[in-house]
Amino acid sequence: MISFLLVAQATFRWEFIWDNRVIFLDGVRLTIFIALVAFTLATVAGLGVALLRMSKNRIIQPVMAAYINIFRAVPLLVFIVFVYYGIAIQFELSITAIQAGIFALTLQYSAWLGEIFRSGIQAIPHGQREAALSVGMSRVQTFFRVILPQAIRIVIPPTGNMFIGMIKDSSLVYLIGVPELFRVSFRLANRTFRYFEVYLAVVLIYLFLTTAVYFGVKYLERRFALVDLLTSKSRSWSPLSRRRVEKLRALQLAVTVAKEKGKTEEDLAGHTADIESLEYEPLADKNQEEGSTPT
Amino acid sequence: MTVHSGDAAASRTSAPLVKLRQIHKSFGSNHVLKGVDLTVEKGQHIVIFGPSGSGKSTLLRVMNLLEAPQSGSVWFDGKEYGPGMAGEKLAKGRPRALRKQVGMVFQQFNLFPHLTALENVALALRRVKSIHREEAELAAATYLDRVGLLAKLGSYPSLLSGGQQQRVAIARALVMEPQVMLFDEPTSALDPELVGEVLYTMRALAETGMTMVVVTHEMGFAREVGDLNIFMDEGTIVEQGDAGIFSDAQEPRTRAFIKAIL
Repeated sequence: MISFLLVAQATFRWEFIWDNRVIFLDGVRLTIFIALVAFTLATVAGLGVALLRMSKNRIIQPVMAAYINIFRAVPLLVFIVFVYYGIAIQFELSITAIQAGIFALTLQYSAWLGEIFRSGIQAIPHGQREAALSVGMSRVQTFFRVILPQAIRIVIPPTGNMFIGMIKDSSLVYLIGVPELFRVSFRLANRTFRYFEVYLAVVLIYLFLTTAVYFGVKYLERRFALVDLLTSKSRSWSPLSRRRVEKLRALQLAVTVAKEKGKTEEDLAGHTADIESLEYEPLADKNQEEGSTPT
Repeated sequence: MTVHSGDAAASRTSAPLVKLRQIHKSFGSNHVLKGVDLTVEKGQHIVIFGPSGSGKSTLLRVMNLLEAPQSGSVWFDGKEYGPGMAGEKLAKGRPRALRKQVGMVFQQFNLFPHLTALENVALALRRVKSIHREEAELAAATYLDRVGLLAKLGSYPSLLSGGQQQRVAIARALVMEPQVMLFDEPTSALDPELVGEVLYTMRALAETGMTMVVVTHEMGFAREVGDLNIFMDEGTIVEQGDAGIFSDAQEPRTRAFIKAIL
């Protein structure tokens, strides 16, 4: 191991990576572009797949089940080659390799994501739908206002996994000539024979990208965590949630004032313990106090 | 069916609000409701009780069409909902129109866990009645105050006790200003020490003159609040009457059930 490092120091030239940074950056840019576009399209399509898959229609439901099965069954690499060479080139369609690659990735990922979304939607208890309908909401409103927001929270972690998968799988389009990160690195290595430096750099770049997604997903999970807005300290740094808290306190104040004036009806709870524990100072005043106190 | 001398119900000026007529409902081969008739009058407090599987919850759920009856109809405010009777021509209404007028409180609360207490109450005002956000939230806060939960308006349901959740659920239904409130075993999922606060809120609501239909086994509540107490078994109404039903029921089945739960 030590001798390996010594050899590495003697013969490997790390500045070689830096000297070729433009090539890597162009590759990374295209990799991110492909992953983002294909994943966005796959998310939208996947939602459609999930909804149609849950349809009670006797034709649509099995058709969607077949769609999911087919696109999950074919190896992605084979599928990409089939879409580009087998269809686009063979039938002289006027689409580029990038478009064909994105199309192939989108189709396969929409099948995977569709199943994830379906499981998320079906995990929501039936009572949620009934409660929404019982207050007069339409089926569409019920889905978008009640079911979907809850399903999203459930599917964030597995969807994050799929996005990491998409970044990695986007390297497969190198085979149809798309100059993304892996292809440009592959060519650079073959041209210069600096295999170790180049491929190590590629490995590290992919690691960096996927780690960034990992932290992004972790942030989202925390962001969607449910806390008591009025007492939670975890979000007090955010100006947005501060404003929300101020609005809530203003509401409490307005209701209490109106009640004291006798404008609102008598309460149905028979006690005022909760109301006494309220703090009504608006946050803005508190800040001023804190600011003016010499430390 | 035995009818008790329903003094409270009879002395009221009869103004029917909801009429269930010959409701039949089956789940597969399970015939849950076998031609139930029931008239709910304005301001009336009806308590429905009976063994599990007697169809009492299903009957309640038919009243806002969460369960569509196979035959029979729900009459509400001059409109007919459901398949109706053979050979009748009546103005048919859409389930949404009915549900806007009928509030419902569930055994499992069914609050929306991704929304704060305030947003839970304000949601339908904004989306169904298209009331502007500021106004809707003020109304929602007022109703939360009425159920004693103004301090909790920023809390998500998971941070509230069962009793608090159920009171938010009551506020969520009340804020739509329904004509009638349906309660489906509202205290059955609560810890014993939390039952009281919910019953208190329901009692106070009854005193405001709200029309209520309550499926419950809280016999103390039924005695005190129920104008019309209905005992159901095997998909039919076996016996109904005022509070007297609890002391001298005529039907053996009613007597046996009351004896078993008291």
